[in-house]
This record gives sequence, structure tokens and C-alpha cells, in this order.
Amino acid sequence: MKTLRRIGLYAALTIAALTFIYPFLWMASATFKPLAEVGTLALFPTHATLDNYRTMWARAPFGRALINSLIVASTITIAVLVFGSITAYAMARLRFRGRPALNAATMGVLLVPGQLTLIPLYTLIVQLGWIDTYAALIVPYLFNATAILMMRQFFLQIPQSLIDSARMDGMGEMRILFTIFWPLSKPVLSIVAIFTFMGSWNEVLWPLLVVREQHLMTLPQLLTVFSLGGGAGSIGVSLASAMVLVVPVVIAYAFLQRNFIESMAGSGVKG
Amino acid sequence: MPSVHFEHVSKRFGATTVVEDFNLDVAEGELLVLVGGSGSGKTTILRMLAGLEEVTEGTIRIDERDVTALAPRDRDVAMVFQDYGLYPHMTVRENLSLGLRLRKVARTEIERRVKWAADMLRLEPLLDRKPKQLSGGQQQRVAMGRAMVREPLVFLFDEPLSNLDAGLRAQMRIEIGGLQRRLKTTTVYVTHDQVEAMTLGDRIVVLADGRIQQVGKPIELYRAPVNRFVAGFVGTPPMNFVDGLLASENGGVQFNADGVNFEMLSSRMPAAMPAGPVTLGIRPEDMEVDVLDSGSAASASGGVAGRVVLVERLGGTSHIHFDAGQTRMLASVTNERLPGVGDAINVRLNSERAHLFVDDRRVSSAS
Repeated sequence: MKTLRRIGLYAALTIAALTFIYPFLWMASATFKPLAEVGTLALFPTHATLDNYRTMWARAPFGRALINSLIVASTITIAVLVFGSITAYAMARLRFRGRPALNAATMGVLLVPGQLTLIPLYTLIVQLGWIDTYAALIVPYLFNATAILMMRQFFLQIPQSLIDSARMDGMGEMRILFTIFWPLSKPVLSIVAIFTFMGSWNEVLWPLLVVREQHLMTLPQLLTVFSLGGGAGSIGVSLASAMVLVVPVVIAYAFLQRNFIESMAGSGVKG
Repeated sequence: MPSVHFEHVSKRFGATTVVEDFNLDVAEGELLVLVGGSGSGKTTILRMLAGLEEVTEGTIRIDERDVTALAPRDRDVAMVFQDYGLYPHMTVRENLSLGLRLRKVARTEIERRVKWAADMLRLEPLLDRKPKQLSGGQQQRVAMGRAMVREPLVFLFDEPLSNLDAGLRAQMRIEIGGLQRRLKTTTVYVTHDQVEAMTLGDRIVVLADGRIQQVGKPIELYRAPVNRFVAGFVGTPPMNFVDGLLASENGGVQFNADGVNFEMLSSRMPAAMPAGPVTLGIRPEDMEVDVLDSGSAASASGGVAGRVVLVERLGGTSHIHFDAGQTRMLASVTNERLPGVGDAINVRLNSERAHLFVDDRRVSSAS
């Protein structure tokens, strides 16, 4: 009876998992199928081919877009981690005039939807003459209120005596942040890194607004322009370009998933 | 070894005054204990000396050097924290050596000092472990080692034993005392535990509400507390206090309260007899208890008639809680024969050791 129930349970879980995994696997396999085969539901192409990728690569500068996306997403991620943790450390652990106001302001930023700031931000970028530059893609995202608040919350749990010890040992505040707080905050840093990287990597709307030069386009932007503009020509080529978009995120997730799950499970640091 | 001087030091957080006009000199090589309840300002004083808390007013000097405005790292003091403050992601060895590496001490010297501290504190086998893998007592020793390797001018201890269980606390107390005597480093030690203060301190500073109540050797505080706070704080179980009045009788001075009538020793009375209400203070160990056979009355001189409400047997000594009139009192005795709850007892107070307080200040002379 017990075994039977277990088998039933596993069967149900397998089906549930398949509903998530199958579309992705199908997409992955479809990119290797010739046009005639793409319509089938089979997971293994009978005549595997790299034609879709070749066509995609030939028709639009996906290599360049991949590099652009990497530059933009990595710069933003590093900046959000570095600047965000510095801000969060100050907000969580230093006493200074105006700290409550800073906390409130940061919280307030979360309440403002991105769509609302889109046009003022765009106007600003135009006035600065940053249209068609990396700066337009990167600078507006260097600080992130959600990231700051997440890190602040985590930093609040780190015992004061560690900061005191470090000060007695002769460390300055920056050093305390990067040599004591960072190693202890891996879970929150990983989750912020993944969310920031994914958010930036998948961003389409903002690049569409501020970048028109093809050689500066990010991957999802180019993909959108390419597919919607009819450049792909076939569904196989469209899917191949989508694969190029997805793979780096999957790799990043694989690297950070242990910390990611840990922080999703809400673990804290123990002094 | 240097001396430490606090000169008119005050600390305010907004409108709240935590420490008020604190003046104190810590002698070279001395182990000075700051003791007081929570909110007494003892930890704040220690943190001001460490440089972890800004001084609102006044000056702190280590020897002749004014350190009031210096950063913690420039004061050459080392501190052991209540929860140890060990870096959880570093090994014991790294925890010990980090402060020296940041000060750019030569590698061979760092190794020598780490080995010296590890030998002294029996940490050798633990050097490559992380703090999480250590017991509370071991973590405590690492924290001490970290302070020692710095070879600082002054050691600061902030309630270092309060996270340990009773047995380990007693053991570590002895170790800290021994270590300090060997190293002869000037030490300021903060605790709320008066037993720790009495056993460790060369001198003790009793604090309440950010002010010094009394400074003195442990036995001075015990024998001659300046006020009722110190009298009640020092000694376990605490001193008994009875509110009453004085009266001259037959050339002697009699203390009278509901249920407690007691003749004061004239040699210990102040020159002028205080008028108005006074408080008699008597330590539990300065009383003797006679168990009365049923029917017999309390004896006359120096005696207090009481009724037992609770007897705590601790083995060697026993605590007898009794009511004398309206006053609940406690006697600590080594009697073989103990009264039962509800029994009538006669309690003789040791007049040599009785204290008299007026407006919370002691007026009787020291025994």
C-alpha cells in the first residue's frame, strides 16, 4: 500500500515536472530540426541540423548582441551588489543624521512603478546625449531599491560584536563590509545577483527606447526586432535565437542555485 | 603597563544621559571591575574607552596620551565581547592573526604570537577549526587569545562569561584571573555579576544610573558600603534592610521597628544620633538562628522573634526566610538543626556587623 502510494506520488510529481520541462526541451530540440520537422511534438530530431543557428547568425549580429548583453547585465549586477551593499551597510549599521529619511525614501522608490519614470528618464537620457550609448543602458540601473532593502534586512541580523571586533582589529568600514559582511551574506548576495542579472538580461523595453544602432543592441532587443521584423523567416530560426538568450541565464542559475535556494528558504547567518 | 584615566566623562544619547561626570583612574597592571545592573552605564564606559562609542564630554587618557577622539585601532586596546565576536567564516588561526596582519606585523612574529597564545590557552588542536565547531568555552578562549596576541596596552572585557553555563563560568573566571596576573596587563572588566566582580577585581567600581556609587577593594565594598545601593548589590544573598527609628535608652541606642528591636553598638554609631527614620542593614551571614521549642518565648537581648516561611538547604549552608513583624528577612546559617516552615525562631543579629542608613547613605562606622 505504502509503495503504491509512493509510486502514485512520484508519478504525479513527474507529470508536474514534465509540464514545466517539456516545452523547454521541445524548444531546445526544435532548434536542431529542419523546417519540415519543427511542427512535430517529438523531442528528438530525426535529421538533426545546425541550419537554424547558421541562418540566425548570418542574418543578424547575434554575437555582438550577446557581448552587449553580457557587458550590460554584468556591469549592472556588479554595480548593484557593490553600491547596493555599501548603501545597505550604512542604512543598517551606521548612525547618521537623516537615516530614517533615507530608509523611507528607499522604501518609497519601490512604490513608484517603472512605467511612470520611463518617459522622464528617456527625456533625461536624450538631454544628456546618451542615446545609442552603453551609458543609457547601464546608468539608470546602477542602484536598485529592492536590492538595497534586501541586503539591509540581511545586514541587520549580523551581530554588532563582529563590527566592533573588526573595528578593534583595525578595519575601516569598507573593509568590514567586504571582508566580514560579504562572506557572511552569500545567500542574499546570490539572490540579488541572480535577480538583477536576469532582470537586466531579459529587459527589452528600455533598450528599444534608447538604442537604435544595431551594433549596440542587447540580445533580447535584437531578438525582438529580428523576430517581429520578420528577419527570422522561420520558426526554427526564431527558436534558435531564443535559445541563445536563455542559455547564459540557465548557466548562471546552475552556478548559484545552491545559494539561491538557501536564501529563498530564508536562512540567516549565525554569529 | 600603562594607566587609564577618565576625566569628567559624560555620555548622552539625545536627551538621555547614560553616563554622568565619570572620573576614575585605573592603575598600571590593575584588574578593575565595573559592576552594576542593566542601564547602569558600565558597558557604555567600556565602549567609550575602546573607541566604539563617542564621548559627549570629558577626556579619556591612556597614560599621558589623550585618546578621546582616536579611532579604536589607534588606541592599542583589545576587547573580549560577550558573544565573543569571532569571525564565523575564518578559522581560529585566522581569527587570532587578523588584527596583526592588518597592522602589518611580520609573518614570523605573527606565528610566534599565535603559537604563544594557543599554548597558553590550550588552543593548539583547534587552530584550523571554524568558530562554529567549537564549544562555548573554547570560543571564549579564542576571543581571549585574539586580544592577547595583539599585546595591547589595555584589555577590555565586556561580560565575557555571561553566555557560559555556571560550571564553565567559574572555571573561566579562574582562568581569566590567572592570565591577567601573569600578563600584568591593565584590565577593565565589565560584569553585572557581583560574584564575578568580588572574585576577580583588584578594585571594584559599583555603578548605578551612570554614576559611580563606590570604588574600592572587594572586601571594602562588602564591609563598608557607602550607601544602601552598594550594600544591597554586593554580597549574595543580599543584605536585609529594615526601616525603623532610633531611640536612646539607658545610655545605649535602640533600633526599633515592627518586629525588630535591636541595640546598636555605641562604638559604631555616628557622632550625632540621626533624627527621623533610619534603615538597619544586616547581612544574612551576620545572623544566628535559634530554633525555639514550642511554647518558649523569644529571648530578650539582641534578639528578633521570627516565623519561618521558607528553608532552602544548599548543603553546607542553608537560607532561612522568616518574617519579623511585617519585615521579610533572610538568614544564612550553617546550623545542623534547622527549623521547619511555620516554626518560631529567635534570631540574634551580630551588632559588630550591623549597618545604619539614613536617606540611603550609611552613617554607621565601618566594622
